[in-house]
Amino acid sequence: MHTALVRLWLNSDPFIMPRYVSQAFPLEVTKLIYCSRTVPEIEKVVEELRKLMEFYVKETGEANNFMALSLSSRKNLCIHPEVSSLRFGKEVDGKCHSLTASYVRAQRHSNPNQPVCRFYEEFDAVGRQVPLPPGIYNLDDLKEFGRRKGWCPYYLARYSILHANIVVYSYHYLLDPKIADLVSKELAKKSVVVFDEAHNIDNVCIDSMSVNITRRMLDRCQTNVDTLQNTIQKIKETDAAKLREEYRRLVEGLKEANVARETDIYLANPVLPDEILQEAVPGSIRTAEHFVGFLRRFLEYLKARLRVQHVVQESAPQFLKDIFDKVCIDRKPLRFCAERLQSLLRTLEIADIADFSAVTLISNFATLVSTYSQGFTIIIEPFEDRTPTIANPVLHFSCMDPSIAIKPVFQRFQSVVITSGTLSPLDIYPRILDFRPVTMASFTMTLARTCLCPLIVGRGNDQVALSSKFETREDFAVIRNYGNLLLEMSAVVPDGIVAFFTSYVYMENIVASWYEQGILENIQRNKLIFIETQDAAETSMALEKYQEACENGRGAILLSVARGKVSEGIDFVHHFGRAVIMFGVPYVYTQSRILKARLEYLRDQFQIRENDFLTFDAMRHAAQCVGRAIRGKTDYGLMIFADKRYARADKRGKLPRWIQEHISDGSLNLTVDEAVQLSKHFLRQMAQPFRQEDQLGLSLLTLEQLQSEEMLQKISQIAHQT
Amino acid sequence: MRECLAFSCQSRSFQHGFIPGAHLCKRVADRRKNITEKEKMDDQGCPRCKTTKYRNPSLKLMVNVCGHTLCENCVEMLFVRGSGNCVQCDTPLRKSNFRVQLFEDASVDKEVEIRKKVMKIYNMREFDFSTLRDYNDYLEQVEDIVYNLTNNIDVENTKLRMEQYQRENKDTIQRNKAKLTREQEELEELLLLEQQSNEQRRLDVLQEEQRQLQAKRKSKQALLDELEKSQLPATILLAQHKVRAAQLETEIEQQKQNVKPTSLFSTGIQIGQTVSLQPLPKIQEVLYQYKPLQIETYGPAAPDLEQLSRFGYLNHVRAAMPQDTAGGYSSALACYRAIQDAFSGLFPLKD
Repeated sequence: MHTALVRLWLNSDPFIMPRYVSQAFPLEVTKLIYCSRTVPEIEKVVEELRKLMEFYVKETGEANNFMALSLSSRKNLCIHPEVSSLRFGKEVDGKCHSLTASYVRAQRHSNPNQPVCRFYEEFDAVGRQVPLPPGIYNLDDLKEFGRRKGWCPYYLARYSILHANIVVYSYHYLLDPKIADLVSKELAKKSVVVFDEAHNIDNVCIDSMSVNITRRMLDRCQTNVDTLQNTIQKIKETDAAKLREEYRRLVEGLKEANVARETDIYLANPVLPDEILQEAVPGSIRTAEHFVGFLRRFLEYLKARLRVQHVVQESAPQFLKDIFDKVCIDRKPLRFCAERLQSLLRTLEIADIADFSAVTLISNFATLVSTYSQGFTIIIEPFEDRTPTIANPVLHFSCMDPSIAIKPVFQRFQSVVITSGTLSPLDIYPRILDFRPVTMASFTMTLARTCLCPLIVGRGNDQVALSSKFETREDFAVIRNYGNLLLEMSAVVPDGIVAFFTSYVYMENIVASWYEQGILENIQRNKLIFIETQDAAETSMALEKYQEACENGRGAILLSVARGKVSEGIDFVHHFGRAVIMFGVPYVYTQSRILKARLEYLRDQFQIRENDFLTFDAMRHAAQCVGRAIRGKTDYGLMIFADKRYARADKRGKLPRWIQEHISDGSLNLTVDEAVQLSKHFLRQMAQPFRQEDQLGLSLLTLEQLQSEEMLQKISQIAHQT
Repeated sequence: MRECLAFSCQSRSFQHGFIPGAHLCKRVADRRKNITEKEKMDDQGCPRCKTTKYRNPSLKLMVNVCGHTLCENCVEMLFVRGSGNCVQCDTPLRKSNFRVQLFEDASVDKEVEIRKKVMKIYNMREFDFSTLRDYNDYLEQVEDIVYNLTNNIDVENTKLRMEQYQRENKDTIQRNKAKLTREQEELEELLLLEQQSNEQRRLDVLQEEQRQLQAKRKSKQALLDELEKSQLPATILLAQHKVRAAQLETEIEQQKQNVKPTSLFSTGIQIGQTVSLQPLPKIQEVLYQYKPLQIETYGPAAPDLEQLSRFGYLNHVRAAMPQDTAGGYSSALACYRAIQDAFSGLFPLKD
């Protein structure tokens, strides 16, 4: 297992590696699996790759038979006229399944009126024999290709990733055990896996293993179980042989999957540990009725647990003991619950799987809770903290150890690269993900001019300390000074300003009192104001209008929230973001019980101090926010940290190196006035014409420069410093 | 009523027109859903007197072996004599068998009750069976019995079967009564471990606090002593004490922060150790060349091994017995060694 931790600047950089390496070791490195976070990011990566390949072809003069493709959900790839018009991903998945499931297609033989998807039929008939021709395919290319041939692009892509050279898809296809099992389990062991934008990878891991159960979900689950029971009753009357066949198979045990895992073809699934596959399903849930009865008991138990009046926190063993005492459910049948349910759903030939998401979730929970005795905690909250009068019980089964989800990936693939622009400090990642890095490196930016200007504003013009900490949160003086900062900046900075707050509530409060104080009115003389909300549609509308206002020269301010949609994955290139203002330190909500449990776990298991982790988490989000402004070598932007706590060494030291380098002692504890003066100076400098020749030799190299001995030495020197 | 309250606490945000209101409305809608859910939970009620939990929050629902619900008051009224028939299914019931209903679905209460009874009789463990298959078949059989009893299928026969089984396996049942299943044992062990580590942590914290308290008390005592004995003016002493107290405070603070820092990853690699990417320097090695051994004896040359017998030396040595020669020993070897010893170092030292 080689695992490297590298921070790289441009998205295209990782692609340089496989080409060199795969030419040097054609048998060792066969495939690059490139994981990113969102669909726009995936598209961006594919576009970069296309450019790179075109360049290769032009320079070498030989056509290479590289094949690269991106994979996304059915919702983004479906070309079936009816299915693709559905709005939600779940609906698309369900509808697709009802048209393409094997038994639906089998029924069509006897009943030609049974609707099926003609694209899938066509693909199934001929698509597998003819491989996808070499080339670079983004999602639209795949759809276009599918339309031309009449093949289903989704299944085509899923099939083609097995022999593609480069696969670009979302983290979840590798990390989420339920999806990884379907999509990625047959990928070659010799692949190189790259996790890009991986600064949040621990949270992704944790989310993929955690389950939240609400009262509503249990009600849906109840209907699911009722449907199951009715279907079983019906099938028993009409087609009892089917159930008997399933029963026979279960008596024999889950042997098929076992064989595949032994030959090491498949990626291990953390939900279903190896030892389960060695054994047969326990006798108590072997027949369909008994299993439904088992589900019913489990469900009633969960319902009873959700009727609590106070918060309960317990470990998995405690939960298991209690469930045995109350409803006589052993640990072993619980472990097999997910597998047994899948088998039952297959046997009952239920077309619309999407409807059964609730009971699937519950069964996953059952398997997880009985499998892992460590690294998980169960928290039952009868109400939300902010609304203690309204009952809204939730059972959080929360994973505290991100290494559980990522372990199969490390075990399976020979090289794993974790990279992001804001992995800082580097050495906390190997600790929380529990792996041994082969190499860690952190690079600075090679810039022809200092195009970023981080300023830490610690005081207002009236010397009031600026801070978003709890005690001064409601302080009018602080809010007023924040307003002044934004007002004065809006007069100085051209085009777009993006301002980040620590939370939605904080933003609402501040904006409300700015309105009362008349600050907003003054700001609006300079620029238009747009606000991010929790509603995705509203936010994308606001973003669009914000860009329009920047485009036509009116200038605009976007007020948004760290950890929100805007703060991750949306770029403010050039005039869309000339300044980013970070109001306060974006600490996570520390009173949450899940967070507290996780901090405790980190302290006990990994010896990571609570404060260290909280600061680390806050600073990675802050860095992510301010990093939105600079998206290229010719770009420039102000980064204003408006909180006096940023000046402290423990906070500043956790910013990524490329930002830290530009924070001088002179820009540490500025007042609003001073910050405005510095920004004026910076902006005037940056506004001078910047030609390509200026970059030559620094951030842009000609071929001769690239081959010169001196430059190569310099590059290797940069590469070796960590 | 409740919805109005939900609105009014949001009204502050509503004053400002530019905050888009849609998500607030959604929030309120979410709350309304929650309320209806709560009501759904509340509309469980007694089938006889039609009281619901919503109207009487202290309503206690009871359930008996037949799996039908009654509220506590109705139970008191109907079963004054200690026994009677179920209102819904006419099964004869005893008052003492009424228990508080735990689950929403009363049939689950009934099933659990039956299951517990069955489990008392059918308490074979995994190690009582030779193969896993047998054990699983046994489990299924138990499940069948519970299913039949709960759903009133073939009750008489099932009961007979149970009784027969009980008679046949009296010893095993008695023996297994105290034993836990393997899984339960594991669980108990885990719980014990968890408890111990919690206790340990609590003790650690307690000890730490005690020590700090003692340190503080000591420094106070030291101040009093100094004030008593020292010649220096009290203000200076007080100032010194203040500085010392502050130091102590920061020390304690630091210790609190100091959760034993580790220098190792879980894999045993040092934290902070960086791996160089440069290739290992190659060490050029020269081939080994054999040189015959030369020994300086500082004496006259001793006769060779072959010459010993020729010169007659061997005549003065004990001949090797047949069992000695098994290991490759010959009398010549011993003689040779003795002669080398005798000859070496005979020349005088040169200075």
